[in-house]
This record gives sequence, structure tokens and C-alpha cells, in this order.
Amino acid sequence: MLSTRVIACLDVHNGRTVKGINFINLKDAGDPVEQAKQYSIIGADEICFLDISATNEKRKTMFDVISKTAEVCFVPLTVGGGVNNLSDFRELLNSGADKISINSSAVYNPDLIRQSSDKFGNQCVVLAIDAIANNEMPCGYEVTTHGGRKKTNIDVLKWAKQGEKNGAGEILLTSMNSDGTKKGYDLKLTKLISKNVSVPVIASGGAGSPKDMVEVVLEAGASAVLAASIFHYGIHSINSVKKEMLKSGIQIRDCEY
Amino acid sequence: MNLVIIDYGSGNLKSVENAFKNAVAVNNLKFRIKVTNSLKMISEADHLVLPGVGSFPDCKKGLKRIVGLFDLLTYEVLNKKKKFLGICVGMQLMVNYSLEKKRTSGFGWLNGYFKKIKKDGLDYLGRDYKIPHIGWNNLNIKDKMHPIFKDISEKEQYYFVHSYALESKNTNEILANTIYSQKIPAIIGKDNYIGVQFHPEKSGCSGQKFIYNWLKWKP
Repeated sequence: MLSTRVIACLDVHNGRTVKGINFINLKDAGDPVEQAKQYSIIGADEICFLDISATNEKRKTMFDVISKTAEVCFVPLTVGGGVNNLSDFRELLNSGADKISINSSAVYNPDLIRQSSDKFGNQCVVLAIDAIANNEMPCGYEVTTHGGRKKTNIDVLKWAKQGEKNGAGEILLTSMNSDGTKKGYDLKLTKLISKNVSVPVIASGGAGSPKDMVEVVLEAGASAVLAASIFHYGIHSINSVKKEMLKSGIQIRDCEY
Repeated sequence: MNLVIIDYGSGNLKSVENAFKNAVAVNNLKFRIKVTNSLKMISEADHLVLPGVGSFPDCKKGLKRIVGLFDLLTYEVLNKKKKFLGICVGMQLMVNYSLEKKRTSGFGWLNGYFKKIKKDGLDYLGRDYKIPHIGWNNLNIKDKMHPIFKDISEKEQYYFVHSYALESKNTNEILANTIYSQKIPAIIGKDNYIGVQFHPEKSGCSGQKFIYNWLKWKP
């Protein structure tokens, strides 16, 4: 039976891992290569690198970090941040990334989803959507870019459906209202999107406890859960999340074998 | 032993190379691993690995672009009986054809064709079946005595990412299945060639074990 994935996300800035509340006040929390390796050993089902400053500073993600990680980390590796065109895709994939997540660049160049999925296959294109609650939008959520700072006037549900149609293989859905709060995922948002698209939806933003992760799977139908800070500072472990999921009847991967 | 990972412009070559190199180093095996599209090196190799990500037609096109490669592989595998591993689309190419995008023929070494995974009903938690089938899933092993399953338990999981599944009449060519909305052939093979729908290079310790078993396997 397919396991619900637990994904550890590392926010990377200048080759170092960081995670700040609502993406502000970044704290340095270590070496991404070493951390990714540790996460893969203790049972993370995937590793996700987000170069959070890449879009702002128009800086490319660190190919070096990715290739070093891919040498020691034998679970899927998703990389995002500052991916603007097909040559960025190619360079990241050649460095050892398995999937590429695109966010702002897809908003400003919607054709990038189609081009990249045609070229590299939809299995490697993850559409990352940073959603913020806005009652003026038909679905109640608006797409934002640049870490939530720029509004786009695009409806999240419409954007998710369009992304799927254009060939995104997965949607990484982050609630910008919940992100960094540790008060739980946005269940309404996650359910809305996962009910209405046929590709897997990864819930992100707001995880504060293993129970939050169980809740977003059982109540909102998430295919996978992603978290950063709660794993990072050792508040909760991948193992404690998986134990809680198992107790609630959610199939997980036990990497003890 | 010389092992060639075939570079035809498709596939996560770096990941496959890393995972094989790790399995060789950790287990002190004597393998020289090369990533190449040189027909000479392929014909001189002892073992062949064909990765593949993306769509079936694109991978086929990539193979065909290297003049002589497609026919050489059939010769090396069927006539010279070289040990072969196809991964994901590399596995899909081993059968007669696929219906992805448009009907495209494969090598035809094994029976069957690929068609889109059905997504009828809901999963055990009441969720829709999402396509692609992405994530870690179990193997239902049919022939537990086969050396490639040495020390591998059905409780272990492997990383899958695909939208098409094999339909085959030759059930004896299916070595293991996985379940996702339907029964999906996960490992196929015959004689000296094996194909895996999942990604052993991305399947953590279980994947490393599988790669080790395949490297040690003497068909």
C-alpha cells in the first residue's frame, strides 16, 4: 500500500540551512548536505531544498550543494527557488535533483510548466503555490510570489487546475497565513485543492506537531506532508510523526528494514 | 566487471550513477562504472543499465537519436545475453509498446503494453487515487527464491513515480507486483534481463539492497 510521504524541507541561503518565522528573521541552522543525509537516514521519504532568497536576489541555487547531497542521499530530492527557465531545470537535474519546484517563475511565465514537463516529464515538475486567504478571490485564496510579499490577483484553485493541465506532476501547497505559526496546516485550503486536482497535493505551512500532520491527511486528503522547522530544531522527529500517523491508521514507510 | 549506464539524453543519470557507485563501494565489489552512449563501450561492457525518466515516446526518440543504439541493445541483451537492468521508462521500453501520448513500440523483449493507471474508487483513507502514482510502495514478490530478492522483505518499500502500468498476458514474466488502485507489475524479467518500475537509486537502503542483489546476480 502506498505510504503517505513525510517530506523534510530545508530552506537554504548562501549554502546554509535557515528557517525563519514567516520567512523573516532567518536563523542559521546548519549544513544542508549533512542535514539532508541525516534526514534520509532517519526516515524522511523525500528531501526538499528551497533556496528562499533565490528569487529576491535573482541568484541561482547552489548546484554544488545539490550534487554533494545527491552523492550521499538516496531518497528523492526536490529543489526549488530561482528556477526561471529550461536551462535552470537542466542544470539542477544534472546536478542530481529529481524534481524541480517552480513558483514565482511559473506565475510570470505560465508556459514554463508546459515547456518543462514536455522536456523533462511531468514527474519532475512540482508546482509550488504560496496561497494567502483573500475573500475577494472566487475560491477564497490568492496566489502570492516572492515569499508571500507580492500579490498576483490569481485565484489559487484556478491556478492549481491550470498547472495540472499544463503538466505539473505534483502541487506543493503552502498556506502563507499558517506558515511559521506552528498552529497546524490550513485544512480548508488543502482540502479545496486536493479535492479538485487529480495530481498529488503536498501540504505545507504551519506544522507544529505530529497531530497536525495526521489531521491534514485524514481531514484534508493530503498525499504528503512537508515541514521544516519542527524537524529542524528537534521539536519533533520524523519518527514521532510517522508513529502518530501509524497510530491513526495512515500507512507510512518504515525504513528499519 | 564493466558496468555501463546508458546515456541517451534521458534519465536521472547522476542519481543512478551515485547509487550504483555507493553500492559497489560499500560492498567492496569490483565494478568499473561508466556513464556513456559509446556503442563501443556498450558492446564491451559486461552489464548494462538503462535508466529513463519522462515520457515513453521521448525516451524512445532519445534512444533512436544515437544511431545503432536501439538494435545494438537488443543484440547485446538477447544474443550476447548480457545482464541488463531497465529502470522506470527504461523498464517500460522492454515490452512491445506503450500507449503514452501515442502508440510507440519498445524493444519487445517481454510481452505486453503500457496503459494509463486506472483510478477507480477511493483509497483506504477515502482519498482519490492521484496520478502519477508517486511515493513509496510495497512489492508482492512472486518468486521469493529469485536471487534479486535476497534479504528483501515484502514490508520494505520502493519509490515509484509513474502514470502508466504494464498489461501483460505472460504472468511468468512478472516477478513482483505493487498495488495502487490496481495491481501494477513492479518488476518484470526473463533470463538475463530485468526491469523495475520503481527507482532503486532513490529507494534508500532497500534500493541499495536491490542494486547489490542485481550486481551479484548471475543469470
